[in-house]
Amino acid sequence: MKNRAFVIQDLSKVKQKILKSEFWEKRVFWAKILLFFILAVLWGRFFYLQVIKHSYYVKKAKSRSVVTYTIKAPRGNIITADGVVVATNQAVFNLYIDVEGVKDKEDEVLYKLSKLLEEDFGILKERFYLLKKTSISRVLLKSDLRWDEVAKIMVRLYYLPGVSVEVESERYYPYGEAYFHLIGYVSKINREEYLKLKDKGYSVEDLIGKQGLEKVFEEELKGKNGYVEIERDAYGRLGRVIARTEPIAGNDLILTVDHNLQLTAYELLKGRGGAIVALSPSDGGILAMVSAPSVDPQKFIIGFTKEEWQAISSAKESPFLNKALRAYPPGSTYKVITALTALRKGVITNPSQSVFCPGYFNFGTRTFKCWEHRGHGTVGLIKAIAVSCDVYFYTLGTKLEVDDIASVSKEFGLGQKALGWPEEDAGLVPDRAWKRKRLKQDWFPGETVVLSIGQGYILTSPLQLAKLYMVIANGGYLYRPYIVKTIQKVDGTKIEFQPVLERKIEINSQHLEWIRQSLIEVVRSGTAKSAAVPGIIVAGKTGTAQVVSLSAKKKHLEHHAWFVSYAGKETPEIVSTIFVEHGGSGGGVAAPLARELYKVFFKISAPPNQALEEEREEIPEVGENFTGEIANPLEEENAGERR
Amino acid sequence: MQVKEDNYKEAIKRNLKGFLVVFALFALGNIHQFFIAESLSFFIKNLLWHVLGFSIFFFLLFFTDYKKVSFRALWYAYWILNFVLFIMLIFHKRWLNLGFLSLQPSEFVKFILLWLISLYLSREPSEVIPPKKLLKIFGLIALPLILIMPTDLDYAFIMGVMFFSWLLFIGVPKRIFILLFSGVLLFSFVFVPIAWQKLKPHQKGRIYGYLEPEKYAKTWGYQLNQSLIAIGSGGLTGQKFYKGWSTRLGYLPTKHTDLAFAVWAETWGLLGVSVFLALYGYLIYFGICVSQTTKDWFGKYLSLGVSLILLWQLFFNLGGCSGLLPMTSIPLPFLSYGGSITILVYILLYLLFNVAIKKYFFK
Repeated sequence: MKNRAFVIQDLSKVKQKILKSEFWEKRVFWAKILLFFILAVLWGRFFYLQVIKHSYYVKKAKSRSVVTYTIKAPRGNIITADGVVVATNQAVFNLYIDVEGVKDKEDEVLYKLSKLLEEDFGILKERFYLLKKTSISRVLLKSDLRWDEVAKIMVRLYYLPGVSVEVESERYYPYGEAYFHLIGYVSKINREEYLKLKDKGYSVEDLIGKQGLEKVFEEELKGKNGYVEIERDAYGRLGRVIARTEPIAGNDLILTVDHNLQLTAYELLKGRGGAIVALSPSDGGILAMVSAPSVDPQKFIIGFTKEEWQAISSAKESPFLNKALRAYPPGSTYKVITALTALRKGVITNPSQSVFCPGYFNFGTRTFKCWEHRGHGTVGLIKAIAVSCDVYFYTLGTKLEVDDIASVSKEFGLGQKALGWPEEDAGLVPDRAWKRKRLKQDWFPGETVVLSIGQGYILTSPLQLAKLYMVIANGGYLYRPYIVKTIQKVDGTKIEFQPVLERKIEINSQHLEWIRQSLIEVVRSGTAKSAAVPGIIVAGKTGTAQVVSLSAKKKHLEHHAWFVSYAGKETPEIVSTIFVEHGGSGGGVAAPLARELYKVFFKISAPPNQALEEEREEIPEVGENFTGEIANPLEEENAGERR
Repeated sequence: MQVKEDNYKEAIKRNLKGFLVVFALFALGNIHQFFIAESLSFFIKNLLWHVLGFSIFFFLLFFTDYKKVSFRALWYAYWILNFVLFIMLIFHKRWLNLGFLSLQPSEFVKFILLWLISLYLSREPSEVIPPKKLLKIFGLIALPLILIMPTDLDYAFIMGVMFFSWLLFIGVPKRIFILLFSGVLLFSFVFVPIAWQKLKPHQKGRIYGYLEPEKYAKTWGYQLNQSLIAIGSGGLTGQKFYKGWSTRLGYLPTKHTDLAFAVWAETWGLLGVSVFLALYGYLIYFGICVSQTTKDWFGKYLSLGVSLILLWQLFFNLGGCSGLLPMTSIPLPFLSYGGSITILVYILLYLLFNVAIKKYFFK
């Protein structure tokens, strides 16, 4: 039994052995080949994906799961010479929505946000879709969130895909309107600017200086944007920050401006249109530059209401213009140029050479009137300037060549930009060549007569006139007006600006003395007696420029009131131009403003800052709370009951 | 008895590498699930399946003999399974929900068929399967696949590939092979255009997504596109635990199951891929070697079948997530989460190792 079994087992073994050697080894070999082939194919595929295409897929992974946002660099501060920060930044919370992250969930997210922010869903939705068109990666849905709003959103961030709250620095102008024209403002970069500047690291969300110092010193103030890379999950929620490049703050500007003077100047112009410019005669540094009416630059950041915008943009006083840099007819303030030309050309050799003013002047067939219809009688140079006698200067005008007056004007800096800012007018100094070129006409001698009292084609800006009188004040040094004294970099290094002397004008000292004397006489006994400040020598010249109404229907326009002057205890310490647009007479309107300005400059009266500051902080005036009846209804009720 | 114990020791010693690879894959799979699991319970559930599978594996390995299974038992099991599949077809379900757990019965078709056919063929082993037998076997295979097809087309197709390739290795007559091959070719040329029109939009979409994953990145190609990004961004050494963007930020769908290997590739890079391929590849190689050295035909067929099933499972999963093949919802043994696949894998491994160690008992 056992044997038989063995035999059968043995036989089957033999059979199996034959089968194995014949084919199974072969089949197993091919199975192994198949295995290695498949392993090789799979490994090769992963090698291709993970090594050769690695950088491609990393880029895709990054663009899918990482969003890059710009962190705006804080702009540089702007600080006055006396250390008051007049343009700075404040931290605000801004609500952003990532366009890609919120995709297909817009309504849901916006509805939740409308509940959290207590805003109308429809309005919020409209705002989102409007902003989406102009934004690339994310939409700034709401800026300057309140603390409670931030808290409400932050705790629900998980349910708000695509939503993020960022702390950003926002431009802040503590003194608003007083500095508007000097500092300018910032607002969102526009398309042309972006295309021009994108190589310099600007993003479409950036703010850019549009006027004043903010525009002129954009490169210094800008700083360098930082970047932050944030993970975005498949549901659009923003998570961990994976990389962060901190922004570099812009450089600070330290100005030549005197804060008190600037605020005083703005206060003086309140309710009027015009400009006040004050220069330092020793180097041309601008001590104050104000234009009125003004605009609150903060509004460009927080936004104007429709009504505000309409009121500002349609106002005939054009609040956007910096009138200190716009050109107007200078009127009698120009007479010093006529006098200087006459002295230089030897038309006047002695101030006692006199002219009789009967109140009018006949030239050819025309009669030119003196502003004083009764006439000034016999006037020499000094009296002529002091009382601003037109007839005296008409007479000079007949003896002078227009090109000579023009070349002296240009020598003193008229007809060219004083600061070099984009919003500045160069003004106009007419001469024969100009008239032939522009009007295709020859110069008429009568036009020289008109020019000699600062009327006609001549146009000068308040700043140019201040520059002109600065030369008289400092004895011939034509400095280029400047406003930024120092650029202070983030690392502490400083770039100091040196005053630029455009030229030293040679003025005969005797001539200079006569002019100075007559300017002092203007304030002492002439047209600007109202500018006198006790203990201070004030010298200047009034101007009342006639404005010709272009439209016949319009009623007669008031004259421009000018007063250009310098003042000092012993030597001149300040030069100023007061310009009141359609203000009336120079002596009546402009000169008293100069007096107030000088009083503050020489610390005779207090500057208006304190009052301004109180207004800003909204501290109730003491008088209101502590005088008169105390209106407490509760107490009164009690008193009644007691009674 | 003494001799027998020595044999066991000998059996384990000779197959030590195979056992170690299984252990390594077991460990890798569970560590992997630990790091992708969103909650601990998810990981523990997976671990329990593996422990259960492992226990079954060891228990059956040392206390049963694959050869001692009766044909009748397998035959009944086959019909019961078909019956279950039929019931599920009626209700159009892929998953059998038993309340406390849900099973995918189609997974169990694999080992029942494998065992049954191996037993049937090993009764009279021959170089080529006689046509009559072959026809019967085709019938055996076709029945469950047809029942699976309406609910799970991919799986039915892949199982067809598994068993057909297995039969090819066992030996299909040349004439029948050529006939079948040309038949399949003709079928695909004639039938595929018709079938294409009959395909449901989501099935067509899968093909579109496969051909152009980036074009259809938001729709049909989403899964593949995200998978490719995950794999590609893994690079040489990977992004390490919890660093992978695709995994952590929820961009990868089915990261626990079908795309578990994409997560693996993102986490460990090509290095990790190579390690896994080496381990898994060795396991298959080990299986083929068992088939080569074992002396009985039952064992030879069985171990080769197990190897091929593991191989195709790997190929279709990795091929799908790397964009070589259209994406199919087939799990990857060890790495993918799932009860049915885990139990199936350990049963298959039981069959393989049982063959491997049983050959020492003929001495």
